[in-house]
Amino acid sequence: MSNVVLEKVSRRFGDFAAVSDVDLRVREGEFVTLLGPSGCGKTTTLRMVAGLEQNTGGRISIGNEVVSDAASRVFVPSERRRLGMVFQSYAIWPHMTVFENVAYPLRVRRRPAAEIRDLVLKALRLVEMERFAERPAPALSGGQQQRVAIARALVFEPKVLLLDEPLSNLDAKLRLQMGDEFRAIQRRLGMTTLYVTHDQSEAMALSDRVVVMDQGRIQQIGAPEEIYRYPANRTVAGFFGTPNLLNANVEACARIDGGRVQLDVVGRGWRGRCEAAAEVPAGRAVTVMVRPEDISIAPADADDGGLRWSGRIAHTIFRGPTRSIFVETEEGRLNVDAPAFGGYAVGDNVTVAVPQSAAWAVVDQAEVN
Amino acid sequence: MTLSADDRVSEIVMTPSRSSSSAAWRWLRATPAGRIAGLTLLALLLAFLTVYPLSMLLYGSLHSTPPGVAGVFNLDGYRDIGSQQSLLALLNTIGISLAKTIPSVAIAVLLAWILARTDTPFRGTLEVLVTLPFFIPPILTAMAWGMLGNPQVGLLNQLYQWITGSTSSPINVYSYGGVVWHMMQYSVPFLFLLIVDAFRAMDPSLEEAARMCGATRLRTFLTVTLKLMLPALTGAAILSFIRGIENFESPLFFGSPVGIHVITTDIYDSINQRSPPQYQYATAISFVIMALMFLIILLQWGALRGRSFQTVTGKGYSPAVMKLGRWRWVTFAFCTLFFFVTVVLPVGQLLIGSFFKFFGFYEWDMLTLEHYQAVAGSREFWRGFGNTMFLGFVGATLTMGLGGIVAYISVRTKWRGRRLIDAMAWLPWMMPGIVLGVGFLWGFALLPHAIPIYGTIWALLLAYISLGTPLSVRVMSSAYAQLSYDLEECSRVHGASWLQTMRHIMIALVWPSFAVGWVLVFFGIVRELSASVLLYSVGSEVLSVVLLKLWANGNAEQVSVIGLIMMIMVIVFRWVQLRVIRKWVGAM
Repeated sequence: MSNVVLEKVSRRFGDFAAVSDVDLRVREGEFVTLLGPSGCGKTTTLRMVAGLEQNTGGRISIGNEVVSDAASRVFVPSERRRLGMVFQSYAIWPHMTVFENVAYPLRVRRRPAAEIRDLVLKALRLVEMERFAERPAPALSGGQQQRVAIARALVFEPKVLLLDEPLSNLDAKLRLQMGDEFRAIQRRLGMTTLYVTHDQSEAMALSDRVVVMDQGRIQQIGAPEEIYRYPANRTVAGFFGTPNLLNANVEACARIDGGRVQLDVVGRGWRGRCEAAAEVPAGRAVTVMVRPEDISIAPADADDGGLRWSGRIAHTIFRGPTRSIFVETEEGRLNVDAPAFGGYAVGDNVTVAVPQSAAWAVVDQAEVN
Repeated sequence: MTLSADDRVSEIVMTPSRSSSSAAWRWLRATPAGRIAGLTLLALLLAFLTVYPLSMLLYGSLHSTPPGVAGVFNLDGYRDIGSQQSLLALLNTIGISLAKTIPSVAIAVLLAWILARTDTPFRGTLEVLVTLPFFIPPILTAMAWGMLGNPQVGLLNQLYQWITGSTSSPINVYSYGGVVWHMMQYSVPFLFLLIVDAFRAMDPSLEEAARMCGATRLRTFLTVTLKLMLPALTGAAILSFIRGIENFESPLFFGSPVGIHVITTDIYDSINQRSPPQYQYATAISFVIMALMFLIILLQWGALRGRSFQTVTGKGYSPAVMKLGRWRWVTFAFCTLFFFVTVVLPVGQLLIGSFFKFFGFYEWDMLTLEHYQAVAGSREFWRGFGNTMFLGFVGATLTMGLGGIVAYISVRTKWRGRRLIDAMAWLPWMMPGIVLGVGFLWGFALLPHAIPIYGTIWALLLAYISLGTPLSVRVMSSAYAQLSYDLEECSRVHGASWLQTMRHIMIALVWPSFAVGWVLVFFGIVRELSASVLLYSVGSEVLSVVLLKLWANGNAEQVSVIGLIMMIMVIVFRWVQLRVIRKWVGAM
């Protein structure tokens, strides 16, 4: 087990910067997810840690050993970094059996046959595949191939485990199940893990910390709850779920507990209180993020110091556990999650409200510069 | 944007390069010496196999005297091409190739449709039988048809006369028709092999959609199926046309005796039949045919650009098979007839011919085994047999090895110089066997005496490797292209070095393609005549040359015996090849 440190890591392809100035410290035993839309540089970052791609700038260390440093031209090839990796395609070698696939990392390290046998069976037992050891690899289903790929990555007890969208080729139900199982195995072994995905719910469910990337840069690093609740900017806010993003201007600003600040904001036809990470001068434009599940349909006269809008229900969509209600207000259309059987009808005039603590303002990035 | 694994490993240890140095210098510094040496060696080898004979052709076409004799540089060779006879040969070449391509495409499409998309009985067996003619050396069927369709004593004419009682002989293979007919026996299965997978792999929902929109079966076939096949069809047709131009055996056997000349036989005649040999003319007209081939290849690229083959890439479709009802026996009969005419008739002729004392006189008391005894006791036959086997095994192995290396470098790496290597390996693609033969003839003759290749079996080996390389590169390229980079990278991440990865993963995975390609190259070598006939000398004759000499001496009976032996070899190898493919497909 060991830590992974990336310092100012960059990767350029000609004039195109796929990854720029990534700083990241993964602690021992930690599960860190790189999250972002396709082309954001997350896979390139992972491949640089694996040694499958060489960084053109910065330094990468694994377990306090520098494995790649662009400045001093140090580059340890993949096979000497002692990593386990699960590929998006699983990369199960089709000409080998399940056993041979899993045994491969041990065989290339020339371990004795008896030890190989023990370790492979142990790894296969871990992923509940020991019954399939003698199967030819192509005769496996997607989920089984995935388990074999995990067993192969774990079998020689690597320093760090790397996973490149390992669940993306599975169907929705299997994805959930495999994700949970995988997290349980990782906790049990305490393996330092770097995980790449574009699926925000996967990232939230599995990780100790999430790294949100966009256009080759890190946008925010934090615990899943923190990133979900307190996104650093509009990009991150928009990436998780389908929040309502409202334009507003700051009227007043005051410090409150927990290192956050309280803002009085005014929008088109509404005003009220929300929170933000740092002080914002009055008059500044901000984006206020309000999640659909935090909005409630309120009596017209109540006022709890948060934000409120009044409007008319434009249409509703039944989603099973909840009902999405679209309320037409002066500001625009608001997306509200209401109880599935709350008895709301299209055309009803309603007031919707959100408490101050659930409304989060971020400064528009264009305004920062 | 991914780099190949080996590209990265090469950069393990890099010394800081001087900032002022040029890009080429930096590359030299950053690349291990071993790789530079290896690439240079490979490039030199390819240059010797492809660029060298080509430049020797150019040299020869401008030089007035045969190789090794003092002479002057002039353009006489090219001037001679303007003669009426040469222009006629050029017209014949194009005309005959067109005349055989068009009906061949029609028959091949029909066969492909029957065997891939209808419920004709015994389709699996029929497919093997219908493609068999492609693997039979053309020299064998040429000789068999020379006997079958002989206007005086041919078996077909004798049968006709026996049945009708007339004395006329309607069939004469020594004609334009005979040349075209013989070529078609090869181009139909060739085209079939190229297009049948397109028919088989087509997404049936595209056709079903047309049916749902109200189109009839015929209309669907014409407006959807055939249109979707068009890129595959044009590509295959152009390839077939090119092979028609390259063809040597058909015009040699059926054209030359009655004065029908094409460019390939013209080259052969001007070296082997005229006295003194007109080397300059032969090399000059070789250049003309290569220019022609190059134009057609350009045309092919143009025709295929922008056409997508996406409809035929999917796997796992089981295309709807059309129920033909009683008509399925008609389609069955059509396929059987094709097999009968292209395989059973010529093989039967060889079989009959081998047991009778004299070709053409089929009486009971003429039955004999003496030809078998003669062949078994013939030193020339056994030498030819040994040479062909040696060249086949060694040549196919070396060619596939070379193709595997070239394909790996051009498909899986980003090394500098890989395009040059790929282009050099492709060059023989536009050189017909006879042209390459002429090029090597000059090339070997001009080598220093310290390198005694001229007139030895090694001359044939080098020519065969050169001729087979484009095919082997294609086979291996498509094998590598099917393998995801992950398979290689995964091995590296889990601790295997580049060499271990090559051995355990890449070679293990492309091995079946290697075997299939090996058999194809082996067939190519066994059947090769046009380059062999220019490059052999006493002691290094191959079977096809032995056959040609026997035929020229009028020994049709022994030709039949040797032909049968070769035929058995072909069938055995084809069977092995099919087994390998089946095993491979089953494992994947």
